[in-house]
Amino acid sequence: MRTTSLALSLAALLLLQGSGAGFAAENGGYRVGDRLQSRAARKDAKAHYQEIGWNALIPEGWDPAAAFRNIDFSRLSDADPRASNALDALRKAWDEAPVEPGWNGQRVRLPGFVVPLERRGEQVTEFLLVPYFGACIHVPPPPANQIIDVFPAKPVKNLRTMDAVWVVGVLETLRSQPKTDSDHRMGMGTAGYRMKAERIEPYKER
Amino acid sequence: MSPWLALAARSAWNRRLTLGLTLAAVSLSVALLLGVERLRHDARESFALSVSGTDLVVGARTSPVQLMLYAVFRIGEATNNIRWNAYRAIAADPAIAWTIPISLGDSHRGYPVLGTTPDYFAHFRYGNARPLAFSAGRRFDGVFDAVLGADVADKLGYRIGDRIVLSHGIGGVGLPEHADKPFSVVGILARTGTPVDRTVHVSLEAITAIHLDWQGGAPVPGFSIPAQYVRKFDLAPKEITAALIGLKSRAAVFRVQRAVNDYAGEPLLAVLPGVALDQLWDVVGIAEKTLLAVSAMVVAVGLTGLVAVVLAGLNERRRELAILRSVGARPRGIFLLLSIEGLCVTALGSVLGVVLLDALTLLARPFAQSAYGLAIRPQLVSLRELRLLAAVIAVGLLASLVPGYRAYRLSLADGLSPRL
Amino acid sequence: MSAAALVRIEGMRFSWPSGDAPCLDIARFEIGAGERVFLHGPSGSGKSTLLGLLGGVLAPERGSIRFLGEELTRLRPAARDRFRADHVGIIFQQFNLIPYLSALDNVLLPSRFSARRARLASASGGSCVNEAARLLDHLDLDEALRRRPAVHLSVGQQQRVAAARALIGRPEFVIADEPTSALDAGRQAGFLDLLLKECGAAGTALLFVSHDLRLARAFDRAIPLASLNRADARQEAA
Repeated sequence: MRTTSLALSLAALLLLQGSGAGFAAENGGYRVGDRLQSRAARKDAKAHYQEIGWNALIPEGWDPAAAFRNIDFSRLSDADPRASNALDALRKAWDEAPVEPGWNGQRVRLPGFVVPLERRGEQVTEFLLVPYFGACIHVPPPPANQIIDVFPAKPVKNLRTMDAVWVVGVLETLRSQPKTDSDHRMGMGTAGYRMKAERIEPYKER
Repeated sequence: MSPWLALAARSAWNRRLTLGLTLAAVSLSVALLLGVERLRHDARESFALSVSGTDLVVGARTSPVQLMLYAVFRIGEATNNIRWNAYRAIAADPAIAWTIPISLGDSHRGYPVLGTTPDYFAHFRYGNARPLAFSAGRRFDGVFDAVLGADVADKLGYRIGDRIVLSHGIGGVGLPEHADKPFSVVGILARTGTPVDRTVHVSLEAITAIHLDWQGGAPVPGFSIPAQYVRKFDLAPKEITAALIGLKSRAAVFRVQRAVNDYAGEPLLAVLPGVALDQLWDVVGIAEKTLLAVSAMVVAVGLTGLVAVVLAGLNERRRELAILRSVGARPRGIFLLLSIEGLCVTALGSVLGVVLLDALTLLARPFAQSAYGLAIRPQLVSLRELRLLAAVIAVGLLASLVPGYRAYRLSLADGLSPRL
Repeated sequence: MSAAALVRIEGMRFSWPSGDAPCLDIARFEIGAGERVFLHGPSGSGKSTLLGLLGGVLAPERGSIRFLGEELTRLRPAARDRFRADHVGIIFQQFNLIPYLSALDNVLLPSRFSARRARLASASGGSCVNEAARLLDHLDLDEALRRRPAVHLSVGQQQRVAAARALIGRPEFVIADEPTSALDAGRQAGFLDLLLKECGAAGTALLFVSHDLRLARAFDRAIPLASLNRADARQEAA
């Protein structure tokens, strides 16, 4: 009967291995705020794509911390409203962060974390790619120019929230209608990046 | 090899009663295993189909999974409502393209009642971004108009023009009814294979109307407002249960979500349906794995029974094995003979298990759809199921080697003269 | 000691792994082609072992068994099985047939395991099935009974089917281990007659082992096993 029990263990293994494994390992051991490594702005002539990091998507001259530049924190008292105002201003700036139009039509490869949006059955047909782990749950959301709306060419199986992946595809920059709101801060409207992803692979440390 | 197959078949047929019972055991266990796997898969498909194109689901602050369960899948009860003003404030965000407010809490003969606006029929999508379609009638206009999901109309046999009475609360029987304010069926939706099919849709004003004289959750004795006077009151809703939101740009979802979660006026929760589904699967996943493991164990039990039966019959067959050896059979052939029997029962049992499962699915289908909004259907074996079946047959093969080997040893020891 | 001996045993010794004394010790034993030999021995005298050795499922620890010029002891077990399939027919005392096969299928068994016998059977009868039917005819088995599962036949009928099976495809040698012991007295002679007639017709050598001396008359030669088996004598002496 030794054979039988060995065989039964084999069977149990076979059955369970397919049912739980996500695209990447359970969270891959990432903690909130972790970012993925990629070689910055390097052209890979053979593969006809450019491997980039998230910083590359920020236009030159846009300072994410602009709202804080003028504040000398050492001179503020505790719970000073200027501090939280600055934080609010920062958030608003991030929400309207401009895109770099130069990326439109460029084929790139970059790593990120998945936030599934649309599914067909158990396959994901659209997701958001964000630069750091936990981007939608615990920490403030990334600036608008650090989020990519990804449309895989083929629906992806076994893709779960916060899976770490490489995506390869053509970027598209979007600018929605500028708001007619008289409020000056609505100058840009909600813009962003979109990508038709040709390949999606699990992220592995190199 | 060729004489062995025919011999194994004849031999198995000869012992068809006992082998038949083990065959039944293997079939049932395979049906169970495959059934659990299919149910898991179909449930996920069903759930994922239920919401499409919705960027955020907003409700009272609760767990994301719970919000999805009651707002989208109409399972369970809402923990709390949100005030109409809060909803209006949230909906004013310029990044939002459309909103669908929904109000839950009443039922009709076990089916949930959903109060909403005409935007529901315009913007709600399911499956692969499919909009709702009517199989009969139109959407509601008047206060006491109702639009039925396909299953409600089917199971209860309603047609356009029928009158229905709503009950207060969710549950089967014994609920207080809004008997003085009957609704008229004006539309029936085409089948979607989602919880929409088992929902009764009415306007938000209707929900307010039927509770006008129910201040405090129950009819006040001696005080009632007849149906024809309800329009004289302000029927604008004061609270809703949840809202579905679509954005102009999907990348803005985080910002809007945070705005809702941080809204100072009321404790609110906004979830991304895709993410909440993953969380749901995490919670359910443990139960699923357990169920799958139990089913695998049941298959193991069935196969062990098979091995036991074949082994038990081995002693009586020693004479038979000696005869075979006398006409020139080799011990290896004897091994094959016994192993093939076990393998064939496993293989046949697997096939029968699939057939049995399909038959049971056909039987259970109407019940699953109407009670749970779950769309299950008999189907050809999927790739994943094939892998499971292959694993079962592989284990059956390995298990069959045990009696095969025993017969081999016996045959060697007995030669032409078994000591019985 | 004719050069045309079908089976020749020389200096053969066999003991069971558990026993300390040899079970069989035969200096010389020969059976000629077509010869009908009656071997007389009580149960337990080692005749089952001899059956196993002649059938090639057992191998002696010493000595030689030559069969049609082939030295059996030098063959590997698989080859011995093949040899047995091709050249030997065996009839047991009882439970000769596979119960879930028909009489016809039982008779056909050797042709499934030996291409040579299948060929010879077809040559003789036109096809294996025809040859089987022919043999069953000669052995007096009702046609109606042939296709029924063997378990429905009486003992006498089963033994006759066993004989047909042993003879199909013209093996050179048939070993019968007490084939009449389970039959009632009236039928024993009848079975023996049929068997001897068929063996004669096919030129098949027959080794008939039995404790019943009354049957010995019909044979070319009658030998007590005890006279062959020196191990037996030694044991008795000890």
